Amino acid sequence: MKVSFISNLALQNSMRLTISRGQSEVNQLQKEIVSGRFADIGLALGAKTSNSVTLNHDVSRLKTIQDSNALVTQRLSASQSALDLMADSAQQMLEAFITVNGSDDANNLLIARRDVEASLGSFTVAVNTSSNGEYLFSGINSNTKPVEDYFEAGSTPKAAFDATFLGHFGFSQDDPLAGGITVAQMDDFITNVLEPAFSGADWTTNWSSASDTNISSRILGNEVVDSGVNANAAGMRNFALAAVIGIELLDSAIDSEVRTAVNARAIEYAGQAVTGIDNQRSNLGVAENRVTKANTALASQIKIITLHLGDIEGVDAYAASTRMQTLLDQVETSYALTARIQQLSLMNYL
Amino acid sequence: MSLSSAISSAQTSLSNYATQTSILSRNISNASNADYSRRNAVLATSLVGAQVVTIQRAQDEVLFRKTISSTSVANGQDTLLAGLTNLKDIFGGNDYESAPATLIATMRDTLSSYAAKPGESTLAQTAVADANTVAIGLRDASAAVQDVRLQADQEIARQVHTLNELLANFETNNKAVYSGTQTGKDVSAELDERDSILKQISEIIGVTTVTRSGNDMAIYTADGTTLFETTARPVTFQSSSGFAAGIDGKAIYVDGVALAPGEGATTTARGSLQALLQIRDEYAPAMQDQLDEIARALIVNFAETDQSATPTLPDAPGLFTWSGGTVPAGATIVQGLAATITVNPALVQSLGGNPQLLRDGGINGAAYVANTAGNASFSSLLDGYVLALDTPMAFDPAAGLSASVSLMDFAADSIGWLELNRSEADSAAETREATRFRSSEALSNETGVSLDEEMSMLLELEQSYKASARLISVVDEMLQALMAAAG
Repeated sequence: MKVSFISNLALQNSMRLTISRGQSEVNQLQKEIVSGRFADIGLALGAKTSNSVTLNHDVSRLKTIQDSNALVTQRLSASQSALDLMADSAQQMLEAFITVNGSDDANNLLIARRDVEASLGSFTVAVNTSSNGEYLFSGINSNTKPVEDYFEAGSTPKAAFDATFLGHFGFSQDDPLAGGITVAQMDDFITNVLEPAFSGADWTTNWSSASDTNISSRILGNEVVDSGVNANAAGMRNFALAAVIGIELLDSAIDSEVRTAVNARAIEYAGQAVTGIDNQRSNLGVAENRVTKANTALASQIKIITLHLGDIEGVDAYAASTRMQTLLDQVETSYALTARIQQLSLMNYL
Repeated sequence: MSLSSAISSAQTSLSNYATQTSILSRNISNASNADYSRRNAVLATSLVGAQVVTIQRAQDEVLFRKTISSTSVANGQDTLLAGLTNLKDIFGGNDYESAPATLIATMRDTLSSYAAKPGESTLAQTAVADANTVAIGLRDASAAVQDVRLQADQEIARQVHTLNELLANFETNNKAVYSGTQTGKDVSAELDERDSILKQISEIIGVTTVTRSGNDMAIYTADGTTLFETTARPVTFQSSSGFAAGIDGKAIYVDGVALAPGEGATTTARGSLQALLQIRDEYAPAMQDQLDEIARALIVNFAETDQSATPTLPDAPGLFTWSGGTVPAGATIVQGLAATITVNPALVQSLGGNPQLLRDGGINGAAYVANTAGNASFSSLLDGYVLALDTPMAFDPAAGLSASVSLMDFAADSIGWLELNRSEADSAAETREATRFRSSEALSNETGVSLDEEMSMLLELEQSYKASARLISVVDEMLQALMAAAG
């Protein structure tokens, strides 16, 4: 006759499952409380794991863009300060031209020429600024110095000008024969020969090694800006043109009337140079502004995604601690019960 | 009724109590044996009026069947979960450090830094090094997947061997039970043994049993193939020496019929064999397909195109190449591609390559050069690569994931797919383990030994024994008194 409904084996094992489950969960909760995320994200999230993986990668992508934006910001502000210098030089050159307007005095002309030379010199230094291993005004051809130094011995632009002048008039600009050039002839030379040499393809042959393509940078996942300007811009060309006119023609042996005309043209080009350079500064300003906005957007995107990630894979520390406490109580109860049950035997009373 | 019959009755009682006590002590000694069924020595009166002891073995056919079926289910689920966990380990820990998705994301970030400063050759080297990590990661993952398959295959071979041994034992045992039952012997010990073998068999393969006259038992697999009927049927399996993508493992034949693999993450597998087949033939190959698709997408995304005004040359492998050396056409899985993907040696400095070709193009000749002017800050090609990783492209639907997603999403989905299955398998394993525990507990309660009960029965026997002994001594005294009176 069977009277009992529980075997000794079942009695001994009854708490086993509870205890082992409890222990493994305690272990898991311990990890979760310490790390603040699920102990095993895959088990907890299942198919949603891909979401958590993607978001984590998004954060790292955004942080990389943030880092490269720092580079862009640095490049933009270096370009901006070099352009400041260029604008100053252009202004200085313009003033020199205006000072000698209508003047035929050799001393004044010489001073003006020195001023223009100094302007071109500081312009050349500024336009050839390199930062972080890159020439700022070379466009994407950033490992080559963008503009030739006009004053260097054997400089290509100087030789090119001399050849152009000689080619047009048949004598050099310092030749006394230059005194015979009429206003109309000089005008024709500047407008139809000299200017195209600066605004056309000759510029890149004689003066500039810069690429027309500006360095572009991705400053947001979907936004690309030009993070620099190049030496082939109109402002730079006009600067060089005005300076060359000032250096080569203004105090040459030309007629006073012609000189006035030349000066007028030089003032015109210098004015355009100032405007052109200012344009570039404002372009860069726009880019700087966009980078700043992009950085704000990046920061908030990272914040949002991180928050969202916390929602997905984060563990509520309070809930976990509470659960841990409950579990510990439960496991302890199981231990106590197991010990009591083990003692529960008829043997003890016989 | 004479005094001698009283004494003989008491003697019979004593011998019966002795038998009962011996049964009790056997019960007590087997109190911790999970395979032991409690015996009960029951007193009965024979036809001729004699008191005899019959031994009954406690059994509950329904609970026993439930136990072995829940054992099969739980064991199949456990095996599947272990296999899926092995596959998950390929992806690394909680942050999926070694998953292709993570490696590609790291490479994308490096490429994006490189695109921000394309003139810097160290960044080019870093990008190529990261690409190399991706290629190595894919090859390792591919090798690990195939290793999981090989391990499963070898485990199947071992278990099939064990199963055949168990079936042979079962045959011996069943014969003993059958002949013992025929000759009316106590076959309890043999029955215990047979049940224990059956439990072991059910861990390997799901079984249904039919008990026929004379305690003869036949075993069928869950889908009806005969495993044992009078004689053991052969379970045959030929293990493979190695695996690669596209190489199928051999089937397990039970009595000539192929055993079907389990299905689903809450698996239909009964016993570990079906679950091992499922890992070897379904999950691991599916993961291999996904790795192959990731590798193919990498080769396609980084392929170089003919930059001429009127392109005539076909696309050629750029940053990544493989043993085929071509850019795979169409959204079709190229089996085993992940196992041979490498970084193009033309970009690896240590192999005499030039990492900057990644920026300029032209790994495959002048027609592919995008940066014709050789500008140091040429970034459009690099930027294009970075963007391509996040641009939807076509994937083979046979890989089991979305057919049109970006490579980054595909790689992440691959993790999602595995974790979906693992998480489902894990929760199923938990409930199924609980079911097994409860049903074996119920069976143990029904057929196991309770020491308390045995002890109380022992007390009862002790008292009865004392009473019988007392009876004999009383009869003895009476006889002596009679002798004395007669003497």
